[in-house]
Amino acid sequence: MQIFEYNGSAVVAMVGKNCFAIASDRRLGVQLQTIATDFQRISKIHDRVFIGLSGLATDVQTLYQRLVFRHKLYQLREERDMKPETFASLVSAILYEKRFGPYLCQPVIAGLGDDDKPFICTMDSIGAKELAKDFVVSGTASESLYGACEAMYKPDMEAEELFETISQALLSSVDRDCLSGWGGHVYIVTPTEIKERILKGRMD
Amino acid sequence: MKLDTSGLETTMPVIGFGSNSEMLDGFSSVPSFDLPRTTDFDGFQKKAVEMVKPAKGTTTLAFIFKEGVMVAADSRASMGGYISSQSVKKIIEINPYMLGTMAGGAADCQFWHRNLGIKCRLHELANKRRISVSGASKLLANMLYSYRGMGLSVGTMIAGWDETGPGLYYVDNEGGRLKGDRFSVGSGSPYAYGVLDSGYKFDMSVEEASELARRSIYHATFRDGASGGVASVYHVGPQGWKKLSGDDVGELHYHYYPVTPVTAEHVMEEAAE
Repeated sequence: MQIFEYNGSAVVAMVGKNCFAIASDRRLGVQLQTIATDFQRISKIHDRVFIGLSGLATDVQTLYQRLVFRHKLYQLREERDMKPETFASLVSAILYEKRFGPYLCQPVIAGLGDDDKPFICTMDSIGAKELAKDFVVSGTASESLYGACEAMYKPDMEAEELFETISQALLSSVDRDCLSGWGGHVYIVTPTEIKERILKGRMD
Repeated sequence: MKLDTSGLETTMPVIGFGSNSEMLDGFSSVPSFDLPRTTDFDGFQKKAVEMVKPAKGTTTLAFIFKEGVMVAADSRASMGGYISSQSVKKIIEINPYMLGTMAGGAADCQFWHRNLGIKCRLHELANKRRISVSGASKLLANMLYSYRGMGLSVGTMIAGWDETGPGLYYVDNEGGRLKGDRFSVGSGSPYAYGVLDSGYKFDMSVEEASELARRSIYHATFRDGASGGVASVYHVGPQGWKKLSGDDVGELHYHYYPVTPVTAEHVMEEAAE
């Protein structure tokens, strides 16, 4: 099997009205065998920026630790949090540094920028940024996710409706993928609160 | 390899009548197929094998106990990482008292089991008595042996009840045939064996045995990515086979491990600017 499919993953982010949602599956596997059903793929950089990483699990964890380190340095120097657009450029630069021996992961970045405007983007494993206005996906279930999101997405959804939409898109897509699933993890972020929810999914 | 050109006379595979070979009697000769016309015959065969090979993604199991044979399987078909179907029938009804399980290439298993069913019926008509499980599995094993190396992918168990009682045989595309009491076949079989072996007793009732079979399939679908869908359980007794249950494993998980609601702390944060 390909190296990107070694651990299995599914990450999706969607834009709503002054809010965003980011969701991932919870499976950690070694090819077909499932090792854990509570693997954290989405991490908070600060209250208004989240990053979800799909791909090889070891690189997911290492890259996350690197990014937290760089963000903390930024906070010390600038005495403020990074904007999501700036953070995306940072991730892109860090990934390109390893152009000839890359981190084998595909990040999905979601954040609230100036004036609470939601921002999402995804990247390939060597840092090519892809901005989107509606949704971004990555992982082994990405093709199913594209289809599901395309069908279910509407612009300017409120937080609750956005939660329902992203949950349905995630669960129906991972049900068509052997390597991802076993539950879901959804974060809904508005200017005033962060809601974290665990989804009950098919455990097969 | 001797090319059997009797197949050129009719479009149907020849099952022996009209065959010119004196060594074969009517019921043990092999159906003849058209061979592919390519310049690279061996390369073509190799590519065909590689195409079918990854497909033993499944979990099937069968075991003999006091009341007969219990047969169970999942229902997922996968192509690499993609789930192509969650509702495949992997337990094939050869005749009213014999079942076959499917692991490997779906087309191969379906065709050869149906072919076996035909041969069993012909045996019944010619000998005025039912074929034994041992005989049926031998017929299948011999057919598969003659196609050895040609890329068939079949990992099947033949379970039935004949005059000697319950019978269970494992037959595969290499031509292997094993008699036994407990088998599990497929990528999820190690997980199923763990549960099956630790819970098995010969003196089980039908309910206990079906629960054991269902649990084994469930645990295999949980751990194995290539198994899932519906866990079907069949029982073969002296009167023939009977389907006992078909449970969706997504629901079985929450039946075995119900979710207790936990109040989580709501994180209310003022967005810092």
